[in-house]
Amino acid sequence: MFLTVSNLTKSYHSGITTPVLNGINMELEQGCIGVILGPSGSGKSTLMNIIGGVDRADGGEVLVDEIKVTALTDDQLTEYRRQRIGFIFQFYNLVPNLTVAENIEVVSNISKAPLPVDAVLSAVGLADKKRRFPRELSGGEQQRVSIARAIVKNPALLLCDEPTGALDYVTSRGVLALLQKVNAEYGTSILMITHNSAIAGMAQAVYKLRDGKVAEAYRNSQLVPAERIEW
Amino acid sequence: MTLQKRIWRTLSENKGRYIGIFILIFLGSFTLVAAKGFADNYALLVNRFALHNLQEDLSFSVDQPLDGLAALEQETGAAIEPYRYADIPLSDKGELRLLTPQQTVNLPAVTSGSGLQQPGDILIDPFFAATHGFKIGDRIDTGHQSFRIVGTLALPHYIYPLKYINDVLPPSGFGIGLIAAADMEGYPEAVTVYSVRFAGRENLGGQIISLREALDKQGVKLSDWTDAGNNKRIRMPWATITGAKTIAVPLPVTMFLLCCLIVGIVIWRTVKSDSVIIGTLYAQGYRRRELTRHYLTLPLLLAAAGGLTGVLMGLPTIDPIVKYMANSYYIIPYEKLALSAADILAGILMPTIFLGLAALLVIRRELHKTAGELMKGDKAKVKINFLERRLRLERFPFGAKFRLREQLRSIPRLLFLLFGVTAASVMMLFGFTLNHSMNIVFQSGVNGTYNYAWEYSFKETRQGEVPDGATPFNALRCYPDSKENAEFYLTGIASDADGILLRDADGNLLPKNQVNITYLLADRLKLREGQRIAFVSKLDGQSYELVVDGIVQTYSGQFIYMPLEDFNKLTGQPAGSYTGVFSMRELPYEEWELAGVKDLQNLNSAMDDLAAPMTSMVIFMALVAAVMGAIIIYLVTSLMIEESRPAISLLKVFGYRSKEVRALILNGSAWVVLLGFMLSIPLMLASASALYGYLGEMINMVLPIILSPAYVILSFALIVTVYLATKELSGRKIIKIPMSEALKAGSE
Repeated sequence: MFLTVSNLTKSYHSGITTPVLNGINMELEQGCIGVILGPSGSGKSTLMNIIGGVDRADGGEVLVDEIKVTALTDDQLTEYRRQRIGFIFQFYNLVPNLTVAENIEVVSNISKAPLPVDAVLSAVGLADKKRRFPRELSGGEQQRVSIARAIVKNPALLLCDEPTGALDYVTSRGVLALLQKVNAEYGTSILMITHNSAIAGMAQAVYKLRDGKVAEAYRNSQLVPAERIEW
Repeated sequence: MTLQKRIWRTLSENKGRYIGIFILIFLGSFTLVAAKGFADNYALLVNRFALHNLQEDLSFSVDQPLDGLAALEQETGAAIEPYRYADIPLSDKGELRLLTPQQTVNLPAVTSGSGLQQPGDILIDPFFAATHGFKIGDRIDTGHQSFRIVGTLALPHYIYPLKYINDVLPPSGFGIGLIAAADMEGYPEAVTVYSVRFAGRENLGGQIISLREALDKQGVKLSDWTDAGNNKRIRMPWATITGAKTIAVPLPVTMFLLCCLIVGIVIWRTVKSDSVIIGTLYAQGYRRRELTRHYLTLPLLLAAAGGLTGVLMGLPTIDPIVKYMANSYYIIPYEKLALSAADILAGILMPTIFLGLAALLVIRRELHKTAGELMKGDKAKVKINFLERRLRLERFPFGAKFRLREQLRSIPRLLFLLFGVTAASVMMLFGFTLNHSMNIVFQSGVNGTYNYAWEYSFKETRQGEVPDGATPFNALRCYPDSKENAEFYLTGIASDADGILLRDADGNLLPKNQVNITYLLADRLKLREGQRIAFVSKLDGQSYELVVDGIVQTYSGQFIYMPLEDFNKLTGQPAGSYTGVFSMRELPYEEWELAGVKDLQNLNSAMDDLAAPMTSMVIFMALVAAVMGAIIIYLVTSLMIEESRPAISLLKVFGYRSKEVRALILNGSAWVVLLGFMLSIPLMLASASALYGYLGEMINMVLPIILSPAYVILSFALIVTVYLATKELSGRKIIKIPMSEALKAGSE
């Protein structure tokens, strides 16, 4: 199994202790797309942050490609993120005073075997906008840059936090199609957080979270192409 | 590295802010390098002259020529060499003191032309030459002989060319000239003085005592004895150097540290506002050290550029200042300076290290957070604090409520603005107050107390009648029992000395038949009326004690006045003894009788001249403070706008006009500016008191702190003007913020 999460727990302490994850268990095979659904506060982002090595668990275990993420030191976590993980955020988090190409180079520069920047730009359909700054792009284009930045290092696992949360319907479908294309072309495993249950159709594995627990988990035998998803 | 491209773009996107920071660093580095360079190099010049030209340790005169000089030199381990001098009035060219050269002590330094080669040659001091328009090759006619000027000179025992040892300034038109010993034979009135320099340079005090004992043993009757330490002709440059070191160095250092703090805060806020990007890069796999390096580049670049420019512009100013001081106030041979590599390095490294450390601390603190926390930015922390809750803002109209919330929501930013305004105001007020205090001291100090035209001090104590219109006084240099560096004069004055007006704080005249202490000395020693002061005579180490009856509200210096007869009784001198007189008119005393003459009416302008370098420095500091104040306020305001961009953008979306947005965002800080200024007054008084106290300890120079309402108003007006100008400038930034920013909030 490419990704295994076992009995994962996490609480936040700010005067009072708020449990966020109460023993999560999940699995994802290599090259598959997984979707995590759930309402706000269900622990989706916390779960993804722990899998991505940007946050730490209180208990339990996360194994990614045989790496025990929950046992890594800070420096090892950095190396793990650097070589294996790609992040896509709801609000893109682009560096405003770097151009499109430079925003991608920022990550390709630190990768051991990055994909060519121009190829990635072409793949996300932004080859003609490589010299523009983020403020000169639409929301959908900015998210494409964010996807290009995440895949340029050719990560083993792409973590997407509400990648269409800030986009309109048509643009969202375009972004989802692009993610499917990345998954197909590069064999990148993708774990996506979303509120939108319609998106679940494009994923092999679906997990529904409620109150820090997996309330429901199922597998789709038939995948829906992103272009045909409707909501 | 691609990330580094951000540095230049960030610089060009925030030109105003970073130019401001650059100027702050530049000013700090410039003032530090220039002030320290001047003080160090000037000290080096004076020291080198004293050492190379064998400056005397003391001089003395005797009633009979001294026999057995070689044996005395052997016994005391000193070079003892006589020289002769005669004061020659020149018909319309002032007065020239002719001196004979020495071979083992006080070697003359020829500063232009050539040395004495034949009889009839003369070397004169450069001030005298400049004042009277003498050039090399000209002739000076003394009435008795005509001398050919062969050059100019500096003498180690006449660095400050005073006529009398107790003078404050050289008399107008007075100068010195060196002639061959054979030429001096034509002046029978010439006086012989013995100069002494000890071979061993340690325990000079002990060696001086041994010499005096040896002379006593030989039965030599001394008519004059002056240690180099009490010789103003030798010591005056040191007062300037110490003054420069104690004022000119701590001030720029303080300013410099303040700059670093301000810049550190700006960097901190910048890094904080960049936390989403830091978090994103961190999440993408950037290592801490890579991000640290990236965020350190900008402050280090600014520090190095500002520091280097400050050094490069500060270094060339040192030489002209030292040259000016060497040629304008004292006669010191000027030599090209050897600039200290340590100073140059300090000028560059200090800002780099300070700013680097400040930035490093801030960045490391941010990077201790997880990528997830960082990516949330400040949004997660926008919560209602206790101040906002306590003030119950809902009572106020919307405008006031909004403005207050904007300020209170970020307490660190509020504190930063408060700190910036306070720091700028303190510096500005400090410069003005120092200037005002010095003006008060020099202008009203002497006039307020002494209503006499002349003060004569004698070489020896006298008794008996004084000329008509004169009133006698007697004085002793003393120091408080356990505070040797707080020297003062115990002065006995005649009870009928109508020209001496001693007034208390309420302006009432204090009786002269009691012990009155000047305010500055009382304040320094924490003495009040009715308290006892124990002190020691500098002359013979005798201890005395007095009860203070009154405190004189004057800034003229550190004195204890007491009735002359009581003074003589206390110090064991015969009744009617005096060492000087005050007079309303010029008195016909012979020159040989006098140790000093002061023209009290012209003393103020003379003191102004003497204080001119310090005054220029203070004015420069006040100007620098004003510039720094302007920059600090601009930095804080522009930072506020930067941090309020989403709110500004949103208000515009709602249909607010730019003017209304500007009022809501910027007017809220007016009260912080007012509060900051008000806080600066007590802070300035406290810091000035600390600095003046330090000055008093270092060079026994006590300055009162006199706050001028006019200067307070001027400083406030300047701060408000700067604030309004900054608001105007910042207002333009507000106009430029697009509405799309609110619509895309969080997208970048």
